[in-house]
Amino acid sequence: MTLVMVVDDDQDLAEMLGIVLTGAGIDVDLVSRGDEALEVFRNNPPDLVLLDVMLPGLDGIEVCKLIRAESMVPIVMLSAKGDTHDVVRGLEAGADDYMVKPFRHPSELIARIRTRLRRTNADISGLLVIGDLSIDVTAHEVSRAGKKIALTRLEFDLLVALAKEPGRVFTRDALLGEVWGYRHSTDTRLVNVHVQRLRSKVEHDPEHPQIVMTVRGVGYKAGVLGGS
Amino acid sequence: MNRNLFTFRKSLASRVIFSTVLLSLGVVWLTGSALYSQLSDGVKQVNLETSLAEARSTFFNAQYEFLLVEGANTSIITETVQEIIISSTEVSLNQDRKSIFLSRFGPIADPLGDEIAPDYSTATDELDISSFPTELRQRVRASDLVEYKYATVKYKNREDADVLIAGRRIAIPESGNYEMYLVYSLTNQNTTLSLVKSSLFFTGLALLFLIGLITWLVVRQVVRPVREAARVAEQFTQGDFSQRMKVESFDEISTLGTAFNEMALSLESQITRLENLSRVQQRFVSDVSHELRTPLTTLRMASEVIHGAKGSFDPTIARSSELLVAQLDRFERLLEDLLEVSRFDAEVAVLEPVEFDLVRLIERCIEDVRANAQDHTISVQIDHETEQVMIKADIRRVERIMRNLLSNALDHADEKPIQVSVVATATEVGVGVRDFGPGMDPASLSRVFDRFWRADPSRARVRGGTGLGLSIALEDARLHNGELDAWGAIGHGAHFVLTLPIVAGSQISGRPIRPQPKDYPQSV
Repeated sequence: MTLVMVVDDDQDLAEMLGIVLTGAGIDVDLVSRGDEALEVFRNNPPDLVLLDVMLPGLDGIEVCKLIRAESMVPIVMLSAKGDTHDVVRGLEAGADDYMVKPFRHPSELIARIRTRLRRTNADISGLLVIGDLSIDVTAHEVSRAGKKIALTRLEFDLLVALAKEPGRVFTRDALLGEVWGYRHSTDTRLVNVHVQRLRSKVEHDPEHPQIVMTVRGVGYKAGVLGGS
Repeated sequence: MNRNLFTFRKSLASRVIFSTVLLSLGVVWLTGSALYSQLSDGVKQVNLETSLAEARSTFFNAQYEFLLVEGANTSIITETVQEIIISSTEVSLNQDRKSIFLSRFGPIADPLGDEIAPDYSTATDELDISSFPTELRQRVRASDLVEYKYATVKYKNREDADVLIAGRRIAIPESGNYEMYLVYSLTNQNTTLSLVKSSLFFTGLALLFLIGLITWLVVRQVVRPVREAARVAEQFTQGDFSQRMKVESFDEISTLGTAFNEMALSLESQITRLENLSRVQQRFVSDVSHELRTPLTTLRMASEVIHGAKGSFDPTIARSSELLVAQLDRFERLLEDLLEVSRFDAEVAVLEPVEFDLVRLIERCIEDVRANAQDHTISVQIDHETEQVMIKADIRRVERIMRNLLSNALDHADEKPIQVSVVATATEVGVGVRDFGPGMDPASLSRVFDRFWRADPSRARVRGGTGLGLSIALEDARLHNGELDAWGAIGHGAHFVLTLPIVAGSQISGRPIRPQPKDYPQSV
């Protein structure tokens, strides 16, 4: 059974989230304080973390950084603030996705969680090559010259999405659909921030990317030529 | 040149200095010339009197000497003439040069014996006799008194000179009648006078300069605080309310300063009060909206769970759950709109421009809005000149503007088709949304962008709009430096025109689509 850790200080909302998630067949671990989150996370590692931004004890952004420092688990931030600043801050702290309260539809939250939990790209298996990177889709590993590169699941999904169709230019909208499971979102900040994070891990020089190339005015594509 | 003139007209100080110096120039010139003419008259008069007195005594002396030698022999007379000439041309300390001129006229005396009467006519200093004024010579010949005249005479070996000539008739025994002239050079007098003139000139010049300097100093005292006040007022206008004038004395200027500072203080406190008030209010709205979100989320999920199980409820409860869900939707939209409005009010709304195809976005909006509309019979036609219009704008905001305009049009369409048009130029793009519903009167038109304002309060709120849609759309358009215009006429529907710059933030120079639609008769 899948386990989701919900970190939210609002008892009623947490309980309601529990009801909704349990109804969808997901186990829930409820945590109400930011400073308790990490301990619970270590004792009982979840498959996904739902994290509120404003928390007593320790700020949600900080909690996100701490979890990300030791795990590649998918993190979805819950925010009452839709303002750019907070969203970007959360994404930069390592969150994979975010949802602004109130959610348009609770089913949207479930869908979002399922997308993040899905064993990605089950249809592809084996080895993909992008630039001088080799991606072992089955083993969920990325390596350069035999050295493993640690990526979050979302970053891995993003890289695989680009690598499986080299040469194809993905618009930000297309990537949002492919990687995040969005149908109608226009929030391309998600894509931008994660491309930056991915580049900082896989590129030789993130200022002059060779793996994840920008196609001006359109979107991104996988670098075809070998790096350096 | 023009720029100098401009500076001159702009600067009170230079204007005051200029006019003061100009007026002083007149005064100095007048007094200077009066002074000079008086001085020169005086000098000339004194000189004349001295010279004439001396001439009279010389002539008298000569007359007396000749009387004494009357009847003596020629050599004695000649000696006397020589003596007289020498003594007459002796110069005193303050005199420059004195020449003498003797000229016999009239009948020649008949001397004793058979000697010819000697002629003592002579001129010292190589005087050119021909340059003597004949008018004076006639007067001297005819008169018994000393005659005088100012004249310019020539010397054979020297420059011409201004002189005073005094002359008298003299009789020399055994020779005849003579004109005797004493020629006084005026060089000294003229030198004195030109010295006076030049000192007057330079004194006047120095005076003018000093007057200018004093005026400048005085004007500066007045102008400086005025300039200072202007500078402070300007900074004040630019929003630096901490600026104050310096008050250092107790004169009128300091009164101005004090009054200005009082005004500034009062303004500053008023503004601060208003700023605080509006900040508190905006903060409050924003906080309320945020605080409402968490319970609303819980409510949303709870209602969804209840709604999901409505099949097992009896019909009233099932319907109630539907209403609950619908009203929560509406509540949420209202909350979103309120939050957005509070962002605009707090001026924290941020533009996040990306490049996208406006035509595709509009088509998508039309599809979505029509799918959500309860009345699916209304047709929406889109009319665009070009296949694609790439613009750089905040796609989320543009989408919201389009959704707002389209739902507004659908609300008021009265089941008649809606026309959407897109026209792009090099610098801006216009999007028109036209409905053929009941339209608006001018009073409604002027309030159509007001918050929570509804054209017809009795109309059913079919679509459950928040009443903030158009006002947010206007703010969204203006955030792009664009504009949203509305047109409407009773019975002719309404036309909303969005004009956006191709690149968000640049200026729009016109309206590719005019708010007054082409199909509307111009002469109504």
